[in-house]
Amino acid sequence: MRSSKLEDLVHRHKEIARQEKEKTGRPVFGTLCSYVPVEILHAFDILPVRLWGDGKNHERADALLPTYICPPARNIMAMGLAGHYDFLDGVIHSYTCDATCGLFNIWCRNLKPAFSFLLSPPYMNTDEAVAYCIAEFKALIAALEDYTGKQYSAERLQKSIDLYDSAREHIGAIYQANRNGATVRYLDLHQMNLALQVLPIERVVPFYDAYLSNLRMSPGKGAKHRIMISGSVVSDPDILARIEALGGDIVADDTCLGYRLVQQRVPPHEDPLSALARYYLDRPPCSSRADFPARKDYIRETISAFDVNAVIFMHQKFCEPHLADHPFLKNVLAEKGIPQVQLELEGEGLSGQIQTRLEGFFEMLEAG
Amino acid sequence: MEEKKTRKRLQANTALRQIIVDFYAEGHRAKAEGRPVIWIPPMNGLIELFYAMGITPVFPENWAPLCAAIGTNRKNFEYAAKRGFSGDLCGYFRNNVGYALDGINEENQPLNGLPAPDFLISFGAGCIPTMKAFQVMCDHFKVPVFKADLPQVAMEKIEKRHIAYGVAQIKRLIRFLEDETGLKFDIDKLRQAVIHTNEACRLWDEIMALRSTVPSPFSAAEIGIMFVMVTRHGTEIAVNFLKDVLREVNEKVARGEGVIPHEKIRLFWDNIPLWYNMQLFNYFEKWDAVVVAETYTSAWSLRLNPDEPLESIAYKSLVSYPLVSCVSLNKRIELITRAVRDYKIDGAILHSNRSCRPISMGQMDIGRVLADELSVPSVMFDGDHMDSEKFSMAQFQTRVDALMEMILEKKRAS
Ligand code: SF4
Ligand code: SF4
Repeated sequence: MRSSKLEDLVHRHKEIARQEKEKTGRPVFGTLCSYVPVEILHAFDILPVRLWGDGKNHERADALLPTYICPPARNIMAMGLAGHYDFLDGVIHSYTCDATCGLFNIWCRNLKPAFSFLLSPPYMNTDEAVAYCIAEFKALIAALEDYTGKQYSAERLQKSIDLYDSAREHIGAIYQANRNGATVRYLDLHQMNLALQVLPIERVVPFYDAYLSNLRMSPGKGAKHRIMISGSVVSDPDILARIEALGGDIVADDTCLGYRLVQQRVPPHEDPLSALARYYLDRPPCSSRADFPARKDYIRETISAFDVNAVIFMHQKFCEPHLADHPFLKNVLAEKGIPQVQLELEGEGLSGQIQTRLEGFFEMLEAG
Repeated sequence: MEEKKTRKRLQANTALRQIIVDFYAEGHRAKAEGRPVIWIPPMNGLIELFYAMGITPVFPENWAPLCAAIGTNRKNFEYAAKRGFSGDLCGYFRNNVGYALDGINEENQPLNGLPAPDFLISFGAGCIPTMKAFQVMCDHFKVPVFKADLPQVAMEKIEKRHIAYGVAQIKRLIRFLEDETGLKFDIDKLRQAVIHTNEACRLWDEIMALRSTVPSPFSAAEIGIMFVMVTRHGTEIAVNFLKDVLREVNEKVARGEGVIPHEKIRLFWDNIPLWYNMQLFNYFEKWDAVVVAETYTSAWSLRLNPDEPLESIAYKSLVSYPLVSCVSLNKRIELITRAVRDYKIDGAILHSNRSCRPISMGQMDIGRVLADELSVPSVMFDGDHMDSEKFSMAQFQTRVDALMEMILEKKRAS
């Protein structure tokens, strides 16, 4: 894989954060969902690292979390308890689902980070909601000023926004190239999406740049099944690889990491904080923050923009937001005559059951 | 044997039954007379607003326990499953969605079922299952929908900006309701409703405080009185009913009459009861034990300010979900710690509720605080507040019996 170097960095992201902290003295903060405004942390010279599990080995979490919590949340807790994140100075969450909120509070009680903050963003995107969101961001800024002893600076925030925007722009362009038949592998995109969440932003943009300039058109691609994956957080690259091996070309996604996060830029505005609030509220919302009309719009638009002809739902066991959306989205797809399958991820990666379901699905696509 | 039985339940139960029947009948009457009916999410602070405007509120969430008690929940679960909803979703969600989409067309529903809504609230607030259940209903019933927005903030972190945003949303809701119904909002009526709620909360606290008496005048089996706190806030019905309850409980305390004859063990209950098996609370009697406090019933210790009615209901809406859930875990632990001391608790029963992640997350922390800081033993059992198939009586009995032995042993030793 051409981005294997990046994959390696992603794999070592905790070690990299630890080294960065030792070398530069930068504080490192864990983030729990993609709604944490990492640009603000970056502007305070804090390194944001998304807490990220590999979906496996969560028994250790039994001491703090019930077994009927989704595998990713249990896995993150297990890693926290095993000391994998002992280098963190703080933890920030921006409210999304019940499981993550519980995880955040239980983490804070038990692992006692020096800094913790729960942002409560609005669900709407009106002027009132933006004003309220700015007030939430300002409360975070005040807490960060207190913690770091540094002053907030609009210019620094603008610089951080530009940096993140440039990363988003690159990844967005790779999605578009993939859409148009370039030699992109979704596994690479997955690593790039993840890199954006777990690595120092300065280090990732050059990879995206190099990847983009190396792209060629891939004439054979048009014949493949154009797949969209939809659902919870997906942390099992083996499953993605299996989909590709079976002849699926994943061109679009509606998951926790992915196109939703990179398709827009922070709009130009004289006040970067307002612009940032707009950006977070304008983005196509995740299931936990969306209502059905918003979900429907996103699915329909993405399917037609990426010419998708089959959908694979990937649901983490016990993931209520996505399980609740599923029948509704199934109906939306059925109306359009798009075939679909649901995989339930139980924290075991590419299990035999998942393999069988995938094989059956692709046989059906071939036959159809 | 006879001696062991629970003494007569509160007489107020007779009145309560009538209040429940009347509440549901009122919804049907409103519907029949062409007055507006709105389905609203649980425990929110807006009920005062609806009563003040003459709009009849219906609570699917409150109706679910009735379905569980009567047994129609199973049919509703089936309907939800047929529509493709996973069995791992909260039982309230499965019951309410199954009922709203299909069960509603069936005859012979408890209390004649729910009158169909004329408006709905699409909900950005509370827990995921409630939020999504309302989204399913909004998609299904083709009625005007108000998009609500109420961010989840830990109770101890609520600031002016949160209340101000809540007030802005309530003003938007008032405009929506006025436009849709032609009814006029009157702030003085809202003020009056807030006064009633405030009084109901005050009475509630007084009643609950009496349970700290040894022996306790009533047990968790009487939790049904909470019905008025959910559905009749903002009205005199709640106030008058609670005054009667207070009088009755006071008399019991004055007579030194406990709910069981020889109270030996006082218990705390965390998480929602098993609505299909309320007799479970009587199981403790074989050990001369009684549940004298719960997390659930502590959620009403609020005071509202009638001089600021909009701010008051915004605040009430903001705290209603965080207070009992993992959003305010620290606050919840504080509340339990206080209850354990005030109610002289000997042991705690933690219901690990498969349906409700937000209330069940943090229970291990609660157990640890009980043991380490309060020297109160506790036991956790697996259950579900709506689905009897996810509860095992055998496991419950084994665990509870072990806890009781331990408490008695401890008592003998001291
Ligand atoms: S969205 Fe689903 S998978 Fe993600 S943390 Fe929440 S419950 Fe778990
Ligand atoms: S029982 Fe729990 S998960 Fe279910 S609706 Fe209530 S708070 Fe939400």
